[in-house]
Amino acid sequence: MNFRRLLGYNLLTAFVLGIVGFYVGWWLGHQFSGPSIAYFADTGQNDIALFLAYLVGLIGFLSGLGFASYPIQRLLGKPPSLREKETAGTGRYFTLCTDHKVVGMQYLIGIGAFIFVGGLNAMLIRFELLSPTKQTFNANNYLTIVGLHGTMMMGMMTSGILGPFANYFLPIMIGARRMAFPRIEALTFWLLMVAGVILMTTVGYGGFPTGWTGYAPLNDQANMGMDSYIVFFALVGLSMSLLGLNMIATVVTMRAPGMAWGRLPIFVWSVIATSVLMLLAAPVLISTLLMVALDRTAQTGFFNAQAGGSPYLYQNLFWIFGHPEVYILALPGMGILLEILPVFARKPLWGYRLAVTGMLGISLLSWLVWQHHLFVSGINADLRPFYMLSTELISLPTGFIFICALGTLWQGRIRFTVPMLFALAWLFNFLIGGLSGVFLSDVPSDVTTHGSFFSMAHFHYTIMGGLLFSFFAAIYFWVPKMTGYAINERFGKIHFWTMFIAFNSTFGPLLVIGFLGMPRRAVTYAGYLHGGNTWVSISAFFLGGSMLVFVGNFVWSQVFARVPVGANPWASKSIEWQLPSPVPVHNFDRIPTFGADPYPYGDGDGAGDSTAPRVVTAPARPRP
Amino acid sequence: MTELADHSTDYGVVAAEPPEVMARNLRIGAHLWASASAFFFAAFLFAYFYLRALDSTAVWRPKHVDPSLTLGTLAAVSLVAAAVLLRFAVADHRADRLNAWRFKGAIVLALLLAGVVLQIVEWSTQSFGPTDGPYASVYLGWTGLLSLFVVGLLYWVETTLATSFRYRNTRRGAPVPAGHASGDGDRSDPDIENPLSLIRSELEAVSFYATFLSGIGIVTWFVLYVL
Amino acid sequence: MRLQGHAGRIAALTVVGTAIVLPLVIFVLGPNMPPGHRTTGASSQVNDNTVLLVVMTPFTVFILAYLAYAIFAFRAAAGEELRDGPPIRGHMPSQIAWLVVTSAAVLFLAIFGTAELFASNGAGGGEGPKPIAKPSGPVLPVQVIGQQWEFTFRYPTYGGVETAELVLPVNRQIEFHVTSLDVIHSFWAYELGVKADANPGVDNVAYVKATKTGDFQIRCAELCGLWHGYMFDTGHVVDAAQFDTWIAGERKQFTPVEKYLPRYSVTYSPDPQVRAG
Ligand code: HEM
Ligand SMILES: [Cu+2]
Ligand SMILES: [Cu+2]
Repeated sequence: MNFRRLLGYNLLTAFVLGIVGFYVGWWLGHQFSGPSIAYFADTGQNDIALFLAYLVGLIGFLSGLGFASYPIQRLLGKPPSLREKETAGTGRYFTLCTDHKVVGMQYLIGIGAFIFVGGLNAMLIRFELLSPTKQTFNANNYLTIVGLHGTMMMGMMTSGILGPFANYFLPIMIGARRMAFPRIEALTFWLLMVAGVILMTTVGYGGFPTGWTGYAPLNDQANMGMDSYIVFFALVGLSMSLLGLNMIATVVTMRAPGMAWGRLPIFVWSVIATSVLMLLAAPVLISTLLMVALDRTAQTGFFNAQAGGSPYLYQNLFWIFGHPEVYILALPGMGILLEILPVFARKPLWGYRLAVTGMLGISLLSWLVWQHHLFVSGINADLRPFYMLSTELISLPTGFIFICALGTLWQGRIRFTVPMLFALAWLFNFLIGGLSGVFLSDVPSDVTTHGSFFSMAHFHYTIMGGLLFSFFAAIYFWVPKMTGYAINERFGKIHFWTMFIAFNSTFGPLLVIGFLGMPRRAVTYAGYLHGGNTWVSISAFFLGGSMLVFVGNFVWSQVFARVPVGANPWASKSIEWQLPSPVPVHNFDRIPTFGADPYPYGDGDGAGDSTAPRVVTAPARPRP
Repeated sequence: MTELADHSTDYGVVAAEPPEVMARNLRIGAHLWASASAFFFAAFLFAYFYLRALDSTAVWRPKHVDPSLTLGTLAAVSLVAAAVLLRFAVADHRADRLNAWRFKGAIVLALLLAGVVLQIVEWSTQSFGPTDGPYASVYLGWTGLLSLFVVGLLYWVETTLATSFRYRNTRRGAPVPAGHASGDGDRSDPDIENPLSLIRSELEAVSFYATFLSGIGIVTWFVLYVL
Repeated sequence: MRLQGHAGRIAALTVVGTAIVLPLVIFVLGPNMPPGHRTTGASSQVNDNTVLLVVMTPFTVFILAYLAYAIFAFRAAAGEELRDGPPIRGHMPSQIAWLVVTSAAVLFLAIFGTAELFASNGAGGGEGPKPIAKPSGPVLPVQVIGQQWEFTFRYPTYGGVETAELVLPVNRQIEFHVTSLDVIHSFWAYELGVKADANPGVDNVAYVKATKTGDFQIRCAELCGLWHGYMFDTGHVVDAAQFDTWIAGERKQFTPVEKYLPRYSVTYSPDPQVRAG
């Protein structure tokens, strides 16, 4: 082993510099003093120090990965360059690498790990709720677990599909060799990882009591663990915004000849619709969190009613970000669904334009509905009919997605592969998610369901039943292309069926329990809900178990069994499957020219059963 | 392996990317980043009007919370002047008056720096602090973050200027050693055709962003000082 | 024609399924929907829930029937897995029909929801300081004050007496005024069908009229810090006579401590220049 290599830019260096930076910042923060921060003395907490510690630690970490060298070179007048060195080998997965395929893999594993942590927290919540009264965790720890679960999931799942799969496949799908801003692409990933670690350190600072919404003025009152939440979400926001920027820029500028807007794969459209929301909504979140940070450190009064501020302001700003965020979670799943259905129904996508309209429509409308989270809060009560209408209007574009999915199945030749099963399950779960959403959008009905487990089950149906199911669909569908190795089908099916059944048996009853009066985020509940909760907890443990089936299968298939899949195991006609698995570093020997959309199934080439693409024309391979 | 790509293809076979691609990326990137920044400041605008309209405890803006109009105006003017001057600098670059562009670029840097310094002077001389009601909160948060954005802009302008200086004696179209731009010694072919080829597009991008930010500066000035 | 065969069968499945499910929804599920019939607000919520279910039923049955049918009828035959299906890329009439039907449903729901909101005086939901949906007759104002971590109650018509227990007279229009002394709480009286956020410095009004006597749960429905999970209580709806004796007793207990409390007001705010902990 060559130990000198450990001294270069890599994860180890990054950790060392990150920790050093953390303590430098911490020390620096303690050097401040002044009249407005005299309150340190009696509370023993120093928010400024913690913010600085995170900030300097972040800078140290990123420098250790090699992010500092390019900006410094630019400062000294070196010209802008395309990308960093792309080496082969495993080392590149542990450093700043600008190959979009490496970043995609990094995202898959990195995000997967944090989602696993979030899932463990869910298990702890359900363990606690086995009893209506008895406390396993003390009150503060319970709230922190709930907050960690929700915040981690929300933060990580926002990039859950764009991170791994759009980074990997979007350039390929549009016939490009790279993303528009490869270095920014790598940055988004590492920001997210640092953010995840920062969120976990909240445990060392007393946790945070606010759940993922971080409402004021509780966030002002909370102890130092709140700062971890703030920094986490701000970094996630930055990562999201840059991710969206990069995606849009790539689609606009990097398309190969012939890849007209009307020929973009539907997944790419869903990425665009998501990216617009990411690009524009995340900055609002960052601003809001900076205001919270100012309230906590400099004693400003943005959200403090006694100082002339307003908690309503926080709620407004948070949900102006928060509702688009909800659709950031939903849209990529729709893209995956509509991308997978044609392959396994062997039919073109039905109603391409309608699907695109649906996605863009959702993207637009999601800006106009945010106060439906505040129906009983007393904010602008006279606007409730408007928000009720705008919210219900969103079901129209969502309906487009459904009808396109159903139309694609029409007279198809359906193969029930694992990705297809997950896609079909998406339809079922999202249907229930959508139907339960109708109750929440109706003001009189929302009076009871708001803030209850009903709304909690509703959004699990949409983000777990929608996003997480499509995340798994994408994994089973695309990972063989990314690694070149098959994922065992038999265990894939076991995973699917256990997950599908356990998921519905967990969250279905929760809809009922919520309607019967169980509030969110409360550690106790009424005795008459005990039976239901026990059932739900046991189902949740099965759900957790099904995840273990997945992890076992994934690791076994990819690390030990390693059955090569060849270029096109699903006989798909879209372009990523016409490349070798895994895709070579440069993607294409020559940039291809597109002649049709990626769904030319049954378009009369040969007997109608050809698997040849006919989508692209490859220029002859250049001779070295 | 397939028609479209092969693992054994040598890296060098991949044709070097034409610089137009990066140029377009920079342009669209600047526009997208401007729209994200707009939403960033929109949150402060929202906060301003929300709290002003609410004025729940009649402490929106006590009498002594009165930042200096002169300093504020000067800061805004320097930002706007920098943006305007940068436009002229871009015109110079287009017309191949490279020395003129570099001279103007240096003044732009000075103006941006002056704006930030003026803002700092303002903070240290004003008669109120963060605890003096919602207006003071919005004022400090907003001006502080705007100053950070101006520093970022300053950095961006500086990089183009520095590149232009570093290669001031290089002929247009002169060949560049392999891996020169990214510092990748293993590269067998140039990773950039010409270090000067991108200055113009980067300059256009940064100038667009500067104009945008000066717009934000005007809104800031109007909302925080005039309204 | 084969195509009509599929469409016809899916339509038949949808119609039959709807015909079976709809009566169940209207007569069995609907009337038993939460939160029950103990107040006017709760009843109108049940009413809404039923209507929503009725509107959703045909859509749900259609989509599920279609999916089930597709899974059986459109599965690839053995050996035919890789044969392409017909290249159908859309069907304008069905797209338009879908758009029309879903739009009609959505508009109906929005209009119905708005009408019901006004008809039910806000259906028990918090409506802010200036409610737009309110009853016309006389009301009994009751203030709910949230603080970490309990609710207390004041009755302005009875000298602003403050009580630890919530007792309401049956068949009288109640006007809740919900506010908070610290962070955001939410006053949720489940059986009454009432939920209104308690914001510091805000007077959040909600209306309800209990039609039956009995106990009800009170829970805080907005995360408010450490002991949020323990912020629950039991309230009582009693008849007029019982209410009068109860309130008289409370007032007697209250008189000696009255001077230590702030006067009744719709919101309470400490000195704005002094920071709360
Ligand atoms: C194993 C699967 C999961 C289980 C059993 C589970 C369970 C729960 C439970 C019981 C709560 C409610 C805590 C409470 O309000 O008392 C909760 C909250 C939440 N969950 Fe999950 N969950 C799972 C997966 C997910 C996933 C995949 C996501 C998102 C992608 C997610 C996002 C959230 C969010 C945002 C909250 C709200 C947290 C808050 O109130 O601040 N969960 N989950
Ligand atoms: Cu929403
Ligand atoms: Cu609470």
